[in-house]
Amino acid sequence: MSVLNAVLLGLAMGIVFGFLLEKSRVFEPAVILGQFQLRNFIMLRVFLAGVAMGLVVLAALTGFGLARLAPKATLPVADAVGGLILGAGIALAGACPGTVLAQIGAGYRDPWFTLAGGLLGALAFTYAEPALAPWIGAAGQGRLTLDMLLGVPFWVLALVVAAVLALVLRAMESWRPWRAELGEAADGLLPPAAPAPPAAGRPLPAE
Amino acid sequence: MARLTDKAWSPYLAGAAIGLLQIPAFLLLGTALGTSSSYVTVAAAAAEVFDPGIRAIRYAAAHLDGAKNWWQVALVVGIALGALLSASLSGTRRRGIAPVWRRATGLGPGGRFGMAFVGGFVMLLGARIADGCTTGHGLSGMAQLAIGSFIAVAAMFAGGIATAMLLRPVR
Repeated sequence: MSVLNAVLLGLAMGIVFGFLLEKSRVFEPAVILGQFQLRNFIMLRVFLAGVAMGLVVLAALTGFGLARLAPKATLPVADAVGGLILGAGIALAGACPGTVLAQIGAGYRDPWFTLAGGLLGALAFTYAEPALAPWIGAAGQGRLTLDMLLGVPFWVLALVVAAVLALVLRAMESWRPWRAELGEAADGLLPPAAPAPPAAGRPLPAE
Repeated sequence: MARLTDKAWSPYLAGAAIGLLQIPAFLLLGTALGTSSSYVTVAAAAAEVFDPGIRAIRYAAAHLDGAKNWWQVALVVGIALGALLSASLSGTRRRGIAPVWRRATGLGPGGRFGMAFVGGFVMLLGARIADGCTTGHGLSGMAQLAIGSFIAVAAMFAGGIATAMLLRPVR
C-alpha cells in the first residue's frame, strides 16, 4: 500500500476510533483516573469488550486463512518495567497515548501538554534505545502466545476467552450498571462518596 | 438504539465496535491497532530537521518511513477529528481542564499543565520500553493472546493503581 493510501485509511479508521472513544466516555480523565482508583469501571468495560470482539474477529480472520497474527515479541523484563512506568504515566496524564488525542479533539486544554511531554518522552527513548537495547531484550522469548503454550488452535482458545469475557461483562453490568458511572456531565465524575464538608458559612449581614 | 447525537453509548457496544477496527488493520495493512509508536515517528521526523544523524539510530530509522508508520500517525490525528465530531454532534464539547483534576490534586491550571507534561513524558517512555500501550498491548496484544501483552497490561494496571492511589479520591 502506498504511503498516501495508508494515510487516508489511517485517517478514516482514526475518525471512527475517536468517535467511539468519545461516545464510550473512556477518554474522560475522570473515567481513567477513576478506573485506577477502582471507583469507576467504564474503562475496563470498554477495554474488555474491545478485546472480546478483537478475539472473535481474529479467530475468524485466521481461521479462514484471511490474515496472520502479528503478536509482539515477549520481553518479560521490558514488558513488566515498561508497563509499570506506562501505568504511572497514564494515571498522571489521565489519558493513554491514544485517548490524549480524543481529549484534544473534545476540547480539553491540558492534553496539549500531555502530547508535548509524550513526544519528548518518545524522543528521549529513541536516543536512549541503543544503550537500553540489551536490557530490553533480556530474557526475550520471541513470539509466545497462550494458544502456543497450551497447544490448542488459536481460534478455539480465542472464542473461549471471548465467551468468558462476555460473561465477565454481564456480571459487571448486573453488579453496577454502566449508566450509574456516567455522572451528570457524562464525564465520569460522580458526587463525592463521603458527605461533603459543610459549606463555609457566609458572614451574616451586620445588623 | 444508539444515536449519533447521544452523549454516551453503552461501553460494551462502543468497545466491541472498536474491536471491529482490527478487521481493516489486519486485512489491509497486516498489522494490529496501535498508537504509541506514532509518537516516535512524529518526534523523530521533527528531530531529523535539527539532527540528521538521528537516522543512524536503527530504532529511529525503523519508525521514520513507510506506510505502516504514517498510517499510525494518521490514525491518531483521526482520533482527534472523530472525537471532535462526536462531541459536536452530542453537545459535549469540553473546554479548559476537566473538573476531576482540582478534586484529585488541588492544582491550579499551571500545576496541571506541568503534571500533564510529566505524565505524557513518563507515559511514552514506559510505552516505548514495553513496546506498546493500552491499544497495542491492551486491545491488540490481548486479542492475540500474546503472553508479553498480558504481562504489560497487568504491570500497567499495577503502576496506574499505585500512582492514582497517591492522589485524592476522585469521588
